This record gives sequence, C-alpha cells and structure tokens, in this order.
Amino acid sequence: MEIKKTAIAGTLESSDVQIMLSQGTDGIQFDLESDVEKQYGKAIKATVADVLKAYGVENANVKIVDKGALDMVIKARAIAATQRALDIVDEPMWEVL
Amino acid sequence: MSDHIQDLHLRSKPQRRMWQNFLTERGIDVFNDTEIDVIDETIGLLDDHDQLVGTGSIAGDVIKYIAVQNEEGASGSRFNMVVSELVSRLAQRGVFHILVFTKPKYTDSFEHVGFTKLADSDQGVLLEKGEPNIQTYLADIPKVPAGKEIAGIVMNANPFTLGHRYLVETAARENDFVYVFVVNQDASLFKTSERVELVKAGTQDLENVIVVNGGSYMVSYATFPAYFISSPDAVIDYQTTLDARLFKNWIAKDLHIQTRYLGSEPYSHTTDLYNQALQRELPPEVQVKIIPRKELGSGDAISATSVRKAIEEDRISEIENRVPETTYQFIVSHKFELQDRIKKGKKDGD
Amino acid sequence: MATEERLRRTMMFVPGNNPAMVKDAGIFGADSIMFDLEDAVSLPEKDAARYLVYEALQTVDYGDAELVVRINGLDTPFYQNDIRAMVKAGIDVIRLPKVETAEMMTELVNLVEEAEKEFGREVGSTRVMAAIESALGVVNAYGIASSTDRMMGIALSAEDYTTDMKTHRYPDGAELQYARNAILHAARAAGVSAFDTVFTNMDDPDGFYRETEYIHQLGFDGKSLVNPRQIEMVNSVFEPTEKEIVNAQNVIAAIEEARAKGSGVISMNGQMVDRPVVLRAERVMRLAKASHLVDEEGNYIGK
Repeated sequence: MEIKKTAIAGTLESSDVQIMLSQGTDGIQFDLESDVEKQYGKAIKATVADVLKAYGVENANVKIVDKGALDMVIKARAIAATQRALDIVDEPMWEVL
Repeated sequence: MSDHIQDLHLRSKPQRRMWQNFLTERGIDVFNDTEIDVIDETIGLLDDHDQLVGTGSIAGDVIKYIAVQNEEGASGSRFNMVVSELVSRLAQRGVFHILVFTKPKYTDSFEHVGFTKLADSDQGVLLEKGEPNIQTYLADIPKVPAGKEIAGIVMNANPFTLGHRYLVETAARENDFVYVFVVNQDASLFKTSERVELVKAGTQDLENVIVVNGGSYMVSYATFPAYFISSPDAVIDYQTTLDARLFKNWIAKDLHIQTRYLGSEPYSHTTDLYNQALQRELPPEVQVKIIPRKELGSGDAISATSVRKAIEEDRISEIENRVPETTYQFIVSHKFELQDRIKKGKKDGD
Repeated sequence: MATEERLRRTMMFVPGNNPAMVKDAGIFGADSIMFDLEDAVSLPEKDAARYLVYEALQTVDYGDAELVVRINGLDTPFYQNDIRAMVKAGIDVIRLPKVETAEMMTELVNLVEEAEKEFGREVGSTRVMAAIESALGVVNAYGIASSTDRMMGIALSAEDYTTDMKTHRYPDGAELQYARNAILHAARAAGVSAFDTVFTNMDDPDGFYRETEYIHQLGFDGKSLVNPRQIEMVNSVFEPTEKEIVNAQNVIAAIEEARAKGSGVISMNGQMVDRPVVLRAERVMRLAKASHLVDEEGNYIGK
C-alpha cells in the first residue's frame, strides 16, 4: 500500500515513542533518535518494519523519536501512525492487530 | 501526577496576564505585537492545583514561547509534554514540519525530542523537526555539474524590477550558473507564487539562471521570532547572523555556491546591517559581491518600493521603464487587484 | 449467577494513551484496572489509545487484577471499533459510559457477541458494566443492572450526574445520597457489583476516608480511583475487624461440619444459617486474606 499522507503518532513523554511516516521512494528509510539506540536501535526498527510490512507498505520515510518505549508501545504507535498515513483510521485492518 | 493540557486564550485579559507573568518569571519578557499577532494557538500545562506549570504556542509552522516549571526529579517531562501537544496539534492542522527559534541553552532539550539544529548565533538557535526538512528541500533543487562557478542571489522581488534583472544579469555573466532564491513571504504585496513566476519570466532568456522558491529556509530574516531576546539592538544581529549561517552551512554548501551577489543598499539601514552580516559570516567559503544599484540616470536608483508606490498612486505608466516587460504586463492586467490589496493591507494596519 | 465472587474494592482509572501508566498499572495492587479510552483521551488520539491498550493487554502481565476498559459512548464514532478491538484483545469487562436505559446495554451486548464470534472468542466470555451518569440512568438503574447475564456491575459517575441534577459536588455528599442508594439497591436486587464514584482531591485524605467509610457502610463493593495512592486507603477501610473474622470462621466451620455430615442444612448454635450469612462469611474471609489478616490456614494473625 502507498502512504497517502504524512502522519504522526505517539508522544515525546517518557516510556513513549513518536513515529512519523511520510511518502518515500526508496524502501523503508529510518531516522532514529533514542538514548538506547546502541542497544535497541535494531529492535526498534524491526518492530516498526514488521508493522509496515503487515500493512503492505513498501516505501516510507520513518522518523522515530524513542523515549524508552517498550516493544508493545512501539508496535501500538506504529499501527496508529500507519493507519493514519494510509487514511484507514475508521477501517482498521483487524488482522494486523 | 496528573498535569493536564488546556487551551489558553491570549485575548482573555486574565489568561494573558497569567501567561505573561509565567514567561517573565522564566526570562522571556518580549511581548510585542509582531511576536504575538502571528500566534495561532497557545496551550497551558496545569498541575493538580490548576497552577500554570508550562506553556507553548503555535505560529504557522513555528513553535514559540515555550516554557515550563520543572518538577523535582522529573526534569524534562513537562517540556516533553508541551512539545508533544504542540506537535500533535500541528499534525491536526496538517503541518508536519516544525521550526523553533530559541535560546542556545535549550538546544539539547529540543534535540532530545527529535529536532535538528540548522544554525545558531550567540543569541539564538534555529532547529527543525519533521518533513519536509532541509535535506528534502535541497534534494528538490536542480543540481549543476561539479567544478563550475556557481553564484547565489536571494531576493524578495516584490515585484521583479530591472534593478533585480541587472543584478541577475551581472551574476549570470560572471558565473557558469546562478541560483536565484525568491523569499517565501506572503505578507508581500505580490504573493510568493506570483513573485517566483515574475522572476522566472523576467530571466527566461538567461539560460544559466535557476529560479527557486526560498521555501522555509529563505524567508525574510525580520520574521525570525526574537521573543527571547530582550535587547532590541541584539535582535537584528541575531536575525541576520542566523540567516547568513543558515545560507552558508546548508544552502551554499549543498549547492556549491561560491559567491553571493547583493545589491547595494543606499536607502535601508536594516538591509545595510544585513549586508554587513553577510560580509562578516559568509567568507571565506562564500565570497560576497556587492553590485551597485542600477540607476535610471540622475541618481534615481530603481527600487521595488518605488514601483509599489506608483501602483498605489495609480501612476502605472511611470513603472514601464523600471520593470521588465513581463512584470509590467502583469501589473497592468492586475492593477485593480493589486491596488485593492494595498488598501486592505493599510486597513489591517500593515 | 452474576456474583461470581471476587473482591472489587478498588477500580483504578488508567489513561489509555499514557504508555508509562498503562505499563505500570498492575504494580499497585488494584482489584480492578480500568483502562480509559473515553474522557482521559483527546479526540485526535482515540485510535492511538485503542491500539496502545490493545497491545498492552496482549503483552503486559497484570496479575490477578480484573481488567476493565471504558470505551467511548455509543453516540461517538469510536464506539464500534473500541468494542471490536477490546473483545479481540480478550478484555474481562467492557464499561459503557453514560448509560441511561437497558436498551443501551442490549445494543452493547449484541455488538460484543458479534465481535466474540468474529474474533473466535468464547461467546459470553466478555462481561459488561454500566456507568450511570444522569438522573434518567439513576431512575432506570434496576433495568440497566438486570439487562443482561453478562452484567458485572454498575457504577455511579458523579461529575456528569451532579451537572445533570443542576448541582455540583459538596464535601458532605448529600447531593449524591439518593443516587448512591438507588444504584446500590439496583445492583443488589440484580445480583451485580456496585461501585462508588471517584474522589479527585488528593490533598484531602480526611475527606477521602470519610467518603470511603460512608460508602463501605452503605454496602458498596468498592470505589473508582484516579490515583494509585488511594488503593491502600480504600483497602484499609474495607478490612474486616477481628470480631467479624472470628464470626466468619465460625460460620465456615459450621458449613464444613454440615458438609462432612452430608447434611444440606447448616446450623450454628441451634439456629439455621441462611444463605446471605454464608455469603457474607465467605466475603469476610476473602477480605481478611486480601488484607493479610489471616494465614494460609485461616488463623487470625492481626497486623
């Protein structure tokens, strides 16, 4: 699926993560800001990438500001951002949840 | 435990007073109309006792007047809450690119929530977050082959005159390529889209000239928020320095611009200060060349100001020898609309 | 039926879009955790909160706590997706706000059942509760409380209720007297739990104790809470006395005695022991255990 519009989900508060998705042309491009990037950078990106894959998004620019979010929070924010970017907030893809 | 966000209405006198006191206590004490009038909305962060403990405002794609009272042992959490709320409200408005102008000491705080520093001076720093960002902006500009002589000109062109044309011609003759950036500012009599089109039309015969919209990065430096600088003298220095460094470190660097051309400024003191800042900041990487104004003879330099005045006073025929044919045709065919805009602008106290 | 007995002294509200609070909700020892998708979440974040709570329910261990979610009301565009997501997540209880009629619960239950079938959950496994927030809701409380077999309980929500009654909250709570009693009677008559409203002023612990003692005296199962610090305070009010525990132990002994004899009739001191007395004794012992006032064998150990 194609990203229809830029979208953002999550906050900059502790234990949260802010994920912004915008149209891309060159696969999934990550830009990550996190205090634990060294230890968890890969895992954070993998979680977001899995969600994008589940929605069939092949091209996107992904900006992530992580504030120490658990994996489940990253997944939840990725789902919210993706649905907003695909303009399907009212018609969630239940099989992805 | 449960701080909460609330709208603040600056038109309400008690709320405005509370907001202003809160900021003043935190070292922000500039509340002039140019800073306040552009604010679209303001939020407050209130604690359990409904005391104001944080605030932030949105003005277009700029966030400003951000201040928080930090809790013990929870440094940054209120700041992050305020910025989060502003980001989310901007997203609601469809704005995903955010600029912030602030004191240099807050650079880390903003970088920590995903902002990137674009330029700084002793007095202030400019950071951005989101998309499209400066890399995206630069990526969209046509590139020229490496190893060439490349010049850059930044102009408001409100509207494009023969004076501007003379400056572009000179640069085009002395270089392989010239980038002309048209300042993005809709407070001008001629809209940004109109000014870009008139510059393009008026330089169409010059094959080595590339006309580009200045986007978020070449705006009028005078619009840079300066609410955090108390001394008026320091403001213009901060604004011009930031503008010059932004041009040098990002625009000129990426596009390999070696020379910036300026028109001489016999009339405007502030523009003269701006030119001085450019001469101080840009070399050695970027040379500055000041080209004397083209005159119509008898010391009558061509200025966009005089053209706008002639439109206002309906002396259209006097414009003909001051602007390129393309600009003249546009003015003639849009005369009433332009005069109307001038009247409206006056009424709005512009 | 409904009163499958479990303690519901404390129902702690957790803002559904706050990851730190959602993640830590289980560590304070609340009997029930209520994730809020309604008032605690601003309009643009309704979807995000729904998925955050969904993911938390999949991954976070909330121990023995009963898990409740307050969904958005049926007049909102979020209502149906909230129900589907929460049923899919396997939530224990869905709390519907602003309930005024039994039909509102029937509609909710129909959608819950559809969702249970759609997502392969056992039909009937999702329970519901109603928040009563208006005069009409109070008047219809029994109809609401007895509207479905899935009903877990009903709760008074005083902010909207007092506004509807053209008053506001006072320290002595006189304005809530009728509603509290009406809701409690409806709950008891229908055999479901009853929850009192929140107390928001964290700077008035005396007022909080006063109110909690009062609703405990009336017979409420518990209280809705906005702050984890209130949990221990409520629990202390609900602690049984030594005398109550000894009494309850006597009743339990009589039950065991009867069971051992194979007798259907429980008697104590020459009197028949009625079912309400048995239920109360069981409840006192559950409270005693939860308050750590008895050991494994049921011996009173005090504090």
